[in-house]
Amino acid sequence: MIIRSLAGSRLGRLAIPLVAVLALALPWLVYPPIAMDIACWALLAVSVDLLLGYTGLLSFGHAAFWGGSAYVTGLVAINLQVPFPLAILAGTLAAAVLAVPIGYLSVRRTGIYFAMVTLAFAQMIYFVVNQWRSVTGGENGLQGVPRELMGVDLSDPFVFYYAGLPMVLLGFWLAWRIVRSPFGHVLVAIRDNPSRARALGYPVDRYKLLAFTLSAALAGLAGGLFVISHGFASLQEVYWTTSGKAVMIVVLGGIGTLWGSVVGAALVVQLEDYLATAGFQEIGIVTGTVFVLVVLVFRAGIWGTVANLLRAREARREGRAEAAGAPDRPEAPTPTSR
Amino acid sequence: MIEQVFNGLVSGAFFALLALGLAVIFGMLGVVNFAHGAFYMLGAFGAFIALDSFGLPFWAALVLVPPVLGLAGVALERTLIRRLASADPLYNFLLTFGLTLILQDAMKTRYGVQSQPYPLPIQGSVNLLLFEYPAYQVFVFGFSCLVCVFAWFLLARTRIGMIVRAATERPELTRAFGIDVGRWVAPVFGFGVALAALAGVLAAPMRAVNPLMGADLIITVFAVVVIGGLGSVLGSAAAGFLIGVVSALGNLYVPALSQTLVFILMAVVLLWRPAGLFGREETLA
Amino acid sequence: MTKRVSRTVAATVVAMGLAACGGGPGGGAEKISDGKIVLAVLNDQSGVYADLSGKNSVEAVKMAIADYKAKYGDKAVAKTIEVVSADHQNKPDIANTKAQEMYDRQKADIILDVPTSSAALAVAGQAKAKKKLHINVGAATTALTGDNCNKYTFHWAYDTYMLAHGTGTAVTTEGAKSWYIVYPDYAFGQDMQKSFSTAIQAAGGTVVASDPTPFPNDNFSTFLLKAPSLKPSVIGTMQAGGDLVNLVKQYNEFKLRDKGIGLAVGLMFINDIHSLGVDAFQGTKFTDAWYWNGSPENRAWADKFQQVAATRPSFAHAANYSAALQYLEAVQRAGTDNSDAVVKQLEGYAFEDVFAKNGQVRAEDHRMIHDVYLAQVKAKADVKEDWDYEQIIKTIPAAEAFKPLSENTCKLS
Repeated sequence: MIIRSLAGSRLGRLAIPLVAVLALALPWLVYPPIAMDIACWALLAVSVDLLLGYTGLLSFGHAAFWGGSAYVTGLVAINLQVPFPLAILAGTLAAAVLAVPIGYLSVRRTGIYFAMVTLAFAQMIYFVVNQWRSVTGGENGLQGVPRELMGVDLSDPFVFYYAGLPMVLLGFWLAWRIVRSPFGHVLVAIRDNPSRARALGYPVDRYKLLAFTLSAALAGLAGGLFVISHGFASLQEVYWTTSGKAVMIVVLGGIGTLWGSVVGAALVVQLEDYLATAGFQEIGIVTGTVFVLVVLVFRAGIWGTVANLLRAREARREGRAEAAGAPDRPEAPTPTSR
Repeated sequence: MIEQVFNGLVSGAFFALLALGLAVIFGMLGVVNFAHGAFYMLGAFGAFIALDSFGLPFWAALVLVPPVLGLAGVALERTLIRRLASADPLYNFLLTFGLTLILQDAMKTRYGVQSQPYPLPIQGSVNLLLFEYPAYQVFVFGFSCLVCVFAWFLLARTRIGMIVRAATERPELTRAFGIDVGRWVAPVFGFGVALAALAGVLAAPMRAVNPLMGADLIITVFAVVVIGGLGSVLGSAAAGFLIGVVSALGNLYVPALSQTLVFILMAVVLLWRPAGLFGREETLA
Repeated sequence: MTKRVSRTVAATVVAMGLAACGGGPGGGAEKISDGKIVLAVLNDQSGVYADLSGKNSVEAVKMAIADYKAKYGDKAVAKTIEVVSADHQNKPDIANTKAQEMYDRQKADIILDVPTSSAALAVAGQAKAKKKLHINVGAATTALTGDNCNKYTFHWAYDTYMLAHGTGTAVTTEGAKSWYIVYPDYAFGQDMQKSFSTAIQAAGGTVVASDPTPFPNDNFSTFLLKAPSLKPSVIGTMQAGGDLVNLVKQYNEFKLRDKGIGLAVGLMFINDIHSLGVDAFQGTKFTDAWYWNGSPENRAWADKFQQVAATRPSFAHAANYSAALQYLEAVQRAGTDNSDAVVKQLEGYAFEDVFAKNGQVRAEDHRMIHDVYLAQVKAKADVKEDWDYEQIIKTIPAAEAFKPLSENTCKLS
């Protein structure tokens, strides 16, 4: 029941400094605005993974929280001219508040039902944002979101990356803490066997709702940062394809691995950027095929597969057989998922 | 007013047809087929291609396209869906999501994003005593109702239907009776796909035929099956009609809410009956 | 194992860091920055606008470069001209990132096209920040030359005001006095509805009803069923793309034309007619910014276009050609590609080219005004060749076609 999380293995000990170095070096490695995009999408994917990988709930509606926060952050930044971290905080809170009623209705269902219900709610938010034009700008988007930070010039995306990085790392740290906390372990217990968890006296739905709200807040943090980074919010932020992209990143990176989301985000964002100029029109065929292949062949995702291989090797070398048998995340056998 | 209610029933019949295919597949496999919208789109393109490349009229397409795509569905189940049968059903949801991207883009690459033309097979209008209504719409209404009744009959009154229902509700017990449940999985999946294709063919003369025609519709259909109760055939059909009427009247009387109405209705139903109007409370294993 | 990995990472980081340090901006005093002019086309090459603009707009821009070079030869200020392009997939965030990359890394002097309002406004914001030009062709929003206008952004071709006032005024003065307006309930549709209503009333007509519809929507029967009871002389639809096709199909199904209710369309591209066939649209009136078969000159250009693009041009293609050409002409007059100098040359400039008749770039809001046309879809019997779909029934002079400055909210900065 206890997750053999990364921190337990050699790979895990390696992962933290590795990620820290990569996070600091990212704007040297890729075009700086893309670096921020990767960070934001990674955080959104982590928030989805928190539900999918550790609670067994597939949310297909996280665009509502990412986008809801994007608009609130943008509106606060435009109208109040506060430093950007405060605007993002407001957006994050708004996402969490929005998550309570949606979560309350959604966590009553599991599995595929949950996915569809969250999708439908996100679509509802989309229509509201689209129509509430006096506030959101409708199809034109919410333009001219400032980047305020006590007079520091953040117009250079390279500089802004480092200004925003602490918030991203805070988000990752929170996710990591949640997963490793007793609360996180209860979530995994619920994922693996809800009946047993209930029998042990855990209020299952309340745990799920809390996980959902925390996850939404993280998605909101990511969305708020994304909006400050781009300087505008658009309908794209609340559209269902955003939710789909987040799920895709998680599956690609590896469900239930957290770090996998980072790898997945780097890959997807770079792929999208590359395809924009590749002069190549079959974007859906490429992304769809990659996705289908991962689901069929590498269900553990990139990080999961690599982690499993490394662990197997390590185990062989050290002659410890027990380590090989435990994959990073147990396959998700959720018999009650419908 | 009466004509608008009738109008709602007409579009409801169409929703019911789409929801039915989704519900049948879910009932048997426990899989939500995200690609349902893509198969709907392929059905419409099937009708277009039949006419454009082979000169086959609408009626021929109506008979030919659904079985052809149904067979493609069987093949899909045998080759891909089945491989994930033992995994969490979420993986099949994700698989069909990926397939949707591929199918949409493949059609886009071949036919572009602009809509394709398709002529109306039945001209003229029918006098329904109180008002006149386009004859083709009346046909779609009648035909959809017929298919719904047929599907219900198949499931409720035949041996195949009994096996399918038994397999859905008590898979282990059914197997213990020596019935080979696995044999029926692929045909049922194919049947669901064929229903989507049928809706697509019916849509070709009255809706824009383009690669993205199913993408937005499918989300509404999801809401419909959730309202009806996933896996409940009767519920899906009833919810289809309900949504049709509600959105027709909503369009007219509360335009500001018309786009969110379906989802508001869904939220209300979930609060009141978490399993949907006709669904049964799921029992925890 | 641990050590090996960290060493590799360290090496990579160092290598990348070095790569990033190399290269930098050249000297600032030269006439043509970086020794070349770079025209960037940023548009939708895989989504809904791919056919009516997309890759073929890049071809149109290349045609403009060839014509510029042919005209000036050795005297050309810009000796080396490059074209770069990217597909923003109608996603404003991608458009935003690509625009930065084009201005910063690819040294683009100007970005052209950019359909989708939100993407266009994002790129306009980048143009302002980077002090480089953006001439928008593909987007319809008047915000580009209104509330969100800026010194470096120009708007070519069309906008919601021009579409609505062209069709609304012309169709009403021709005798269709009562209108039933059906519009998609989002920014574009709401703008169109407002502009149409104003234009219709100013021309002496009445709007008997106007209904918002869901967007996107594939079933308009509610509204088409309601129409006969309102007894309008014409239904004005503000739907575009796939929604327009849905509505037109169902309009025909409900036989409203036979009941004496005409159809006027807010925004229609020739590609829409091509996809459904003239039958479905027969008699429909709409405003067109340019028609390939509208004059021998247009036709000659369309023939050249067809050689590279294998299709007939939409007005967006011709407008991209015009925008690129007028930009290069402005560089020629300024003798430099310095943005401020080029903007000064463009402001107030009056010109004619194959796309723009009586064209003028308004200095006050950077709207390029030009003659536009009221078109009617031909009957099938009158169609003589592929893409021969439109009858131009009226020319709307430049001064009347666009939003008057008196109503404008733009403050250039």
